[in-house]
Amino acid sequence: MDFYIGLLQVIGVHTLLGLSAWCVLHTGQVSLAQGGFFAIGAYVAGMLTAMVGWPLAWALPTAALFAGCIAIAIGFPALRVKGLMLVVATTAFAEIVRLVFFNLKWQVQTPNGMVGPDGGLGFGGIRYFPANALSGLEILSLIWSVVAAVMLFLWLLDRSRIGTLWRAVGEDEVAAQSAGINLTAAKVSAFGIGGAIAGLAGGIFSHNTTHIEHGNFTILLATFAIAYPIIGGLKSLLGTLVAVVFIQGVLIEGLRFLGDWRSLLFGAMILAVMLIRPSGVISAPLNLSLFIFKKNATKLGSSKGASHA
Amino acid sequence: MLKLENLARHFGGIKAVDGIDFEVKRGEILGLIGPNGSGKSTTVNLVAGLYKPSAGRVIYEGHDIQDLPPHERANLGIARTFQNIRLFGQLSIWQNLWAARVVRESGWAGLKARWFATAAQGKLETEAYLEFCGLQHKRDHLAANLAFGEQRRLELARAAISGAPLLLLDEPAAGMNSEEIDDLDQRIRKLRDQGKTILLIEHHMELVMGVCDRVVVLNFGRKIAEGKPAEVQQDGQVQAAYLGSDSDDAFMQAALQA
Repeated sequence: MDFYIGLLQVIGVHTLLGLSAWCVLHTGQVSLAQGGFFAIGAYVAGMLTAMVGWPLAWALPTAALFAGCIAIAIGFPALRVKGLMLVVATTAFAEIVRLVFFNLKWQVQTPNGMVGPDGGLGFGGIRYFPANALSGLEILSLIWSVVAAVMLFLWLLDRSRIGTLWRAVGEDEVAAQSAGINLTAAKVSAFGIGGAIAGLAGGIFSHNTTHIEHGNFTILLATFAIAYPIIGGLKSLLGTLVAVVFIQGVLIEGLRFLGDWRSLLFGAMILAVMLIRPSGVISAPLNLSLFIFKKNATKLGSSKGASHA
Repeated sequence: MLKLENLARHFGGIKAVDGIDFEVKRGEILGLIGPNGSGKSTTVNLVAGLYKPSAGRVIYEGHDIQDLPPHERANLGIARTFQNIRLFGQLSIWQNLWAARVVRESGWAGLKARWFATAAQGKLETEAYLEFCGLQHKRDHLAANLAFGEQRRLELARAAISGAPLLLLDEPAAGMNSEEIDDLDQRIRKLRDQGKTILLIEHHMELVMGVCDRVVVLNFGRKIAEGKPAEVQQDGQVQAAYLGSDSDDAFMQAALQA
């Protein structure tokens, strides 16, 4: 039972991470900085509760706001470049963040002894959940309430004009600016909101694991962050959730019995998604019959054409 | 309304636009024609702000708009369509229009209208322009799934909904059949009657000669003629530019007959 509660907690945190990348991908930008914002949120929220003694209800929004502000500050210069150059720039940023935390040593005396980031050894003792005697189930419901709130927020955002502007910029930047859309405002706002959501996810993550270290925030994490919305499809928010359940629940946990072969199948399944559902799992209704009977379908079409002639 | 002064744009050694001057007067339909590669599209891109000029100035309503980025020029009142249709393919038709609606309110009301208006408001605001392009019945369809002629109409409506008084139409008749061109002719006149000023870049002579009040002819990046359609047709330099030494050029034949 504990295993499944733990798995659902991971799925919740990763859904938030995927949603943060979903915002940025909407404007047609591929950012590998989401892992960096996640790390910033994790450290800031952890430091606020463990070192300063803030309650979590204050620490989480503050961490999200902080990560969002950093994202906006990074966004102005970074979003001047596009495509592969942006991938390189955001990767560099994520690595800088990781290395800052790798080197950060700042411990303070608290009633529980010395607490704080300890360089390569990581940042332990973020014991807000155990100290408040929260059970696994209670933490789980907390995580999923946050996920639900963020999803509702993004759903409303997507249905308001800002969502339409983000998508318009993602579709065609030249047409968008000629239609009077401020590209910088659209991209930076998506980057900022995405960064804040990643920071929120990071804050939850650090409290859930109680110990974080720079190794948690490698490029692999950022790759996962953009893989979720790409595999799930940008059309709907649920796509990201489905993709996280699929990757974390089915691929990573469900295929554990395969041992080292797991990563091979993992790659094969991502390839399969790209072949069968190029615009994501949740995009258009899946018409399997058309896929299987494609040959017959074209035959039918050609005979129809012949009868017309 | 719009004035180009000695405008030039060079790409390396190629002088795509090499110092042209002309003026678009308020309320007129000005045709910009010329053989392939004569610099028509480059001129439009210079006016719209997608290219920076190598020399010269673009003056709109008395202001030098040289340093404004494209979106600010659009908000100022210069909207455009593209030679190769550029719609937001994965957005619905009303969203395509809504995204291009320029918000004129300022302050808090402007902020709300610009970023936080709801989908229901969007459908309401785009109603008139859905009717203009005749696509009310398809408002929730994706733009990418429209037929070619419908996409052209939607792009025209998207330029019109911005409320911009000056429209730059870059070859709106490209790939259209004669029936669709007649329809386009009507729409362009309708826009003019609504008080829009139109700069029409076009290859289709019948349309240009029929609808334009004045015509400017470019060749090799330079203006070679300007005047009423009938005058321009008789211009020796224009005939030479189109015909060259080959008098069988069907293109000019069509132009002369129009």
